[in-house]
Amino acid sequence: MKTATKHPALARVSSGILSRPNSPDLAAAAAAPELQSLGPVGVKEQPLTMSSSRFWTQGDSDSEEEEEEELESEQGSDSDDNGGHDDGKRSKVQNRYLRTEDDDSDESDSGHRVVRSLRDKRNEEMKSIVDQMRNAMKINDWVSLQESFEKLNKHLEKVARVNESTEVPRMYIKALVLLEDFLAEALANKRKMSSSNSKAFNAMRQKLKKNNKQYEDQIQKCREHPESFEEDNADGKDADEDEEEDEDSDAEIEDPEKIAADSDEGEESGEDEPWVKKLTKKDKLMDKQLLKDPSEITWDIVDKKLKEIVASRGKKGTGRIERVEQLTFLTRVAKTPAQKLEILFHVISAQFDVNPSLLGHMPVNVWKKCVDNMLLVLDILQQYPNIVVDTTVEPDEKETQKGADYNGTIHVTGDLVAFLERLDSEFFKTLQCTDPYTKDYVLRLRDEPLFLVVAQNVQDYLERIGNLKAAAKVALRRVELVYYKPQEVYDAMRKLAEQTEDSGEDGDAEAGDEHQAVDDNRGPPPFVVIPEVVPRKPTFPDSGRVMMDGLMSLIYKYGDERTKARAMLCDIYHHAISDEFAVARDLLLMSHLQDGVQLMDISSQILFNRVMAQLGLCAFKAGLITEAHGCLTELYSTGRVKELLAQGVQQSRYHEKTPEQERLERRRQMPYHMHINLELLEATHLICAMLIEVPNMAASTYDKRRPMSKTFRRLLEVSERQTFVGPPENVRDHVMAATRALNKGDHQKAFSVISSLEIWKLLRNKEHVLEMLKLRIKEEALRTYLFSYSSCYESLSLGQLTTMFDLSESHVHGVVSKMMIQEELHASWDQPTSCIVFHSVDQTRLQGLLFQMADKLSVLVESNERAYEAKTGGTLEGVPPRRRGDGQDSSNFGKWQENFVSSQGRQGGNRSGYSGGRGGGSGQGGGYQRNDRGSQGSRGGYGGSRFQDGRGRNQSGSSSRGGDGIARMVSLNRAVRV
Amino acid sequence: MAEHDLTSRLAAQLDRHLVFPLLEFVQDRRLYPEAEVMEAKLRLLDGTNMVEYAMEIHRSLHGTEDVPGDMVARRKEVHARLKVLEAAAAPLVTFLRNPQLVQELRPDRQYNLHMLHQRFQARLKMDTMYSYGTTTNQILLFTMQIGRDHIEAMYDNAKFLFECGIYTHAAEYLYQYRALSTNSERSVSASWGILASEILNQNWDTALEELNRLKEIIDSKNFSSPLNQLQNRVWLMHWSLFIFFNHENGRNGIIDLFFQDRYLNAIQTNAHHLLRYLATAVVVNKRRRNMLRELIKVIQQEQHCYKDPITEFLECLYVNYDFDGAQKKLMDCEQVILNDPFLGRHTEAGNFITVPLRDEFLENARMFIFETYCRIHRRIDISILAEKLNMRYDEAELWIMNLVRSSKLDAKIDSVSGTLIMSTDHINVHEEIIEGLKKLNSRTYLLAKNIVEPAQLAQQAARGD
Repeated sequence: MKTATKHPALARVSSGILSRPNSPDLAAAAAAPELQSLGPVGVKEQPLTMSSSRFWTQGDSDSEEEEEEELESEQGSDSDDNGGHDDGKRSKVQNRYLRTEDDDSDESDSGHRVVRSLRDKRNEEMKSIVDQMRNAMKINDWVSLQESFEKLNKHLEKVARVNESTEVPRMYIKALVLLEDFLAEALANKRKMSSSNSKAFNAMRQKLKKNNKQYEDQIQKCREHPESFEEDNADGKDADEDEEEDEDSDAEIEDPEKIAADSDEGEESGEDEPWVKKLTKKDKLMDKQLLKDPSEITWDIVDKKLKEIVASRGKKGTGRIERVEQLTFLTRVAKTPAQKLEILFHVISAQFDVNPSLLGHMPVNVWKKCVDNMLLVLDILQQYPNIVVDTTVEPDEKETQKGADYNGTIHVTGDLVAFLERLDSEFFKTLQCTDPYTKDYVLRLRDEPLFLVVAQNVQDYLERIGNLKAAAKVALRRVELVYYKPQEVYDAMRKLAEQTEDSGEDGDAEAGDEHQAVDDNRGPPPFVVIPEVVPRKPTFPDSGRVMMDGLMSLIYKYGDERTKARAMLCDIYHHAISDEFAVARDLLLMSHLQDGVQLMDISSQILFNRVMAQLGLCAFKAGLITEAHGCLTELYSTGRVKELLAQGVQQSRYHEKTPEQERLERRRQMPYHMHINLELLEATHLICAMLIEVPNMAASTYDKRRPMSKTFRRLLEVSERQTFVGPPENVRDHVMAATRALNKGDHQKAFSVISSLEIWKLLRNKEHVLEMLKLRIKEEALRTYLFSYSSCYESLSLGQLTTMFDLSESHVHGVVSKMMIQEELHASWDQPTSCIVFHSVDQTRLQGLLFQMADKLSVLVESNERAYEAKTGGTLEGVPPRRRGDGQDSSNFGKWQENFVSSQGRQGGNRSGYSGGRGGGSGQGGGYQRNDRGSQGSRGGYGGSRFQDGRGRNQSGSSSRGGDGIARMVSLNRAVRV
Repeated sequence: MAEHDLTSRLAAQLDRHLVFPLLEFVQDRRLYPEAEVMEAKLRLLDGTNMVEYAMEIHRSLHGTEDVPGDMVARRKEVHARLKVLEAAAAPLVTFLRNPQLVQELRPDRQYNLHMLHQRFQARLKMDTMYSYGTTTNQILLFTMQIGRDHIEAMYDNAKFLFECGIYTHAAEYLYQYRALSTNSERSVSASWGILASEILNQNWDTALEELNRLKEIIDSKNFSSPLNQLQNRVWLMHWSLFIFFNHENGRNGIIDLFFQDRYLNAIQTNAHHLLRYLATAVVVNKRRRNMLRELIKVIQQEQHCYKDPITEFLECLYVNYDFDGAQKKLMDCEQVILNDPFLGRHTEAGNFITVPLRDEFLENARMFIFETYCRIHRRIDISILAEKLNMRYDEAELWIMNLVRSSKLDAKIDSVSGTLIMSTDHINVHEEIIEGLKKLNSRTYLLAKNIVEPAQLAQQAARGD
């Protein structure tokens, strides 16, 4: 914020405020906006002080005047803060004004103290630049001299701002003099210079000439009294003048925020402003014309003015806010609805222009005004169905002249969808930029219904005129606001929308009154009155699902590919959060989205990741552990979950991101309210991994078969390496503690550790999930126990197991039977006594090693054969077909067939198959696993393709556990649905 | 009883006329109140031209002799329309009835059309006039050209006949239409028509042929949208049920067709209830056990949207290994089969009415349970076994004995304790290792030989030089 200014006008204005009639309760708050709007008035009365600032503007003489005034107004609005809270100092300010009139170099001003350090710093910097220039002069380096000069000029602005003055620092003048002298000298004795140097020299000469013109008298003064410039060059900060404004300056961007912050009736202030401002414009004449005699305003005048304003876009010194205000004013005086519409389009795009950079967001109040304008546009379109908005037809020059009673179609250029999308992304951006823990964030979130209502109306309009493709796009925007909301949140939003409408009504009424008052005071009512025909209240169906379904069917019918894909993802997400795993899964698989996700844009990929995460959570809640693991494992395999879900930036140790990348990533971030709870996600993933991995580890003590979850194994190794195990703190610790317990078959402890996690309260059906989890833990504990200790038992009774694991008899029977059938457990039931009899078929350590050796040998032979083939180009004759080729099928099928066909029920016939009925701790899967490990070992020899092949095989080979198929299905199977 | 009835789901994918047999069956089984079924039939008939039949049903439904006026009117209308259509197609029909002329037709359709169009008028006119002694009217007709219009007229005629329930003729016309037609869109429709007619005429062999032809068309044709193709496949599968459960080789056929990837996908997407038929077919078919695994995978995937006792039975047995549950489900299965129009088909042998599929299904299912049970047990009490198999003790013992004797079961009966003892057979680990390494030996030998021999030859050659 700027400190107290010495603006002469301010004094008068602020004193004027006191006498101004105003609604009493608003007095204090309104002071600021009033001031702001009055600032320029004051300026107008001060032509004297302005005159010197005229020299300042570097812009072309054309826009000079106008620019000036804008600067002036900026200044005015900057200073308003003072006026707002500096009531006590008002008298002082007045004094100051008096003093500043005659005394230019008032050093004891009140603002001085506050900014001392900054000012010093600036001056310091300037000094150092001047020093640099001196050095450059010494070595006759014109290139760096030119650079320094530019730097100096730029710096001048800063200094001026800090110093609150337009008086040029003497140091600067001195530097100019110095430069001039040096230039003259150089010109005189034309030394030889390098090409670049001479180029810089010439450029410099011209620039200096131009630049110095502005300061002629000061330079003159300096030449006359060099000594006065010698001394206090550090604080040339006095003159009560305007400052030069860069168009990108902060003040401009801050401005609207201030308006939002300090006034409840920002809208009015926004609307008031143009009125006052108009008076100050250099094209006063026209405005007067507009104001004085409304009936005389013609279409041509408005059109001309519009063109003028539109043409000013992007020109230096054109205030963005001003443009909006001017245009808004024009909408009032528009003569025909079509013209009003046209101008409104310009207003909206001007409003989007208010924020110049990609990173920042549009100010909230501008956004809201923009929403209002959109609604106004829709009103017009509804009211006058003969007006057609499109981008394809080039409208006539005089198209908008056709009045309201014109019957044919009137074309107006504009793109509602583009506006709407922009509106949406601006909304998204504000949420991204706002700190989620502040009230601002919540307030901003409450604006969502505002957007939804516009979107809904635009969609209705587009559907009405039959532009269904565009309607689909709009529908997608709506879907993207709804899809992540569970029913509860959706209901809350619905309620909010209804409430805001009620309260909004009151607010509107008030605002309307004042509005009226303002209008009465200051100007004519709008020429084209548009009643509010478009509903201002969003309508929501009862459940989010219904809304989604409605929008979806529209999108699926008419949307383009990307729209459809995104909508589909949103749909899946929504199904997943409503606990409909099967539906979500089927949709995902049928859509083939997985195949093409790599080719999609990044934001869609993020959406896809979010969908997978949510699907995993959903599967977990439904008790489908393997499926959940399948969904989540990929997210966690890289360790960059945050990045994948766009929920925060993760610092990577291995490669630094360029600032550019970082900026891009930041722009992709999800707003906080859309986040998926990472702790819950991690817990889900780790618990799933635990339930799968613990029995898997127990089953393979000899041969370390490929871990199902590498991430989990790694974590486990890390935690096992710890010397002291403290009580668990985070999610990971908890799961590791549970794993240790589960490893010993202690299901109670495992469950109690897991259930002590905080995150469970985030789940809707917590009890149910925990119950499921308990059961699964018991089951896996039973399996682990059997794997680990079966070799120590000859027989185990069913009753004992049921008491040990607190499971029903039939349940234990089922689990154990499954293990027997899948040959994970080499045992059989003794039915009369109902106990498990173990067969001692476990291989010894020696035998296990022998198997490994055999595998490795066969790999060796195979690689030899390949080498031979590669060398000779032919195949070995008489060599049996490669094991890899046929072993899989025959043994797999053989086994399966045998299970059912031969009622011998034993694996007798299968001896010839490579891994057929091998004893040992693992079944078939193990056999293949080991193959794979073998080939992995010798992979170096011949490339990765075989390895990959092995891996693929491996996956299918290891599906010995029933139901495994589905898990992989999520990523592999059933991809070929029609 | 009607809870597992699929009639309504099936009917949606069938032709109007094909639904009648289902309704007849439902009526027989008395799953729904008779009046309701009759009502349904009547509504079904509304869309057809089988007015006589409709009248009959109406009479029996309302117990009156009166027939609503609109039905009578409709009958008239139908007759009139039939006449018109027949007249339109007459020239061609007459032509085709003449075997001598038909021989002139060639496989080339364009040629046929041309021939009919050109030469016909002059020569045929006279020929037919004299040889058949036709009336003047018909002669007049023949003076007209026989062209595309007539061929299309024949299609319309056939369609109308079909709607009237005269399937044999309809099929006949459609065959000929297909032979002559150049309109591919309509020939496909004709094929569907033939299929329906043949099914309704119970000519299973020809129907099967037609089915395969249609399948090829569907698979090879470029459909405008995948959805369309899917729909066609679903239709085809539904219609094929008639054939597969009646044709003698149908049980293999259904497995072959339904397990094709595309068709399996179609089932999973849009016609989950077909899983019942697939499951039954797999259970009943002894030679196709290998499909069981795949079937169970599919059943599990679709668990959430379709289940009936048959699929649940398989799930109990092969996913949960819950034998008691399987036993219970099996009981339900029997009812389901009896109430299913396709599965519960009766055959009359002598005085008994049997449902062959039910018996086979139960027999096989029992076998499944038994096999699985034996696989995970070492010792089983025969009385328990008998109970599980729904047999008496000595029956069960005899049954087991037979199995053992035919060496299907590697077990012994301990008669004293009344148990069955399974013999466990494990492969020796040593043997297995040796087996694995044996192959290596031979392979290495071969490799060495292959490398050494050429080298030796080269050496010899070098020495010889």
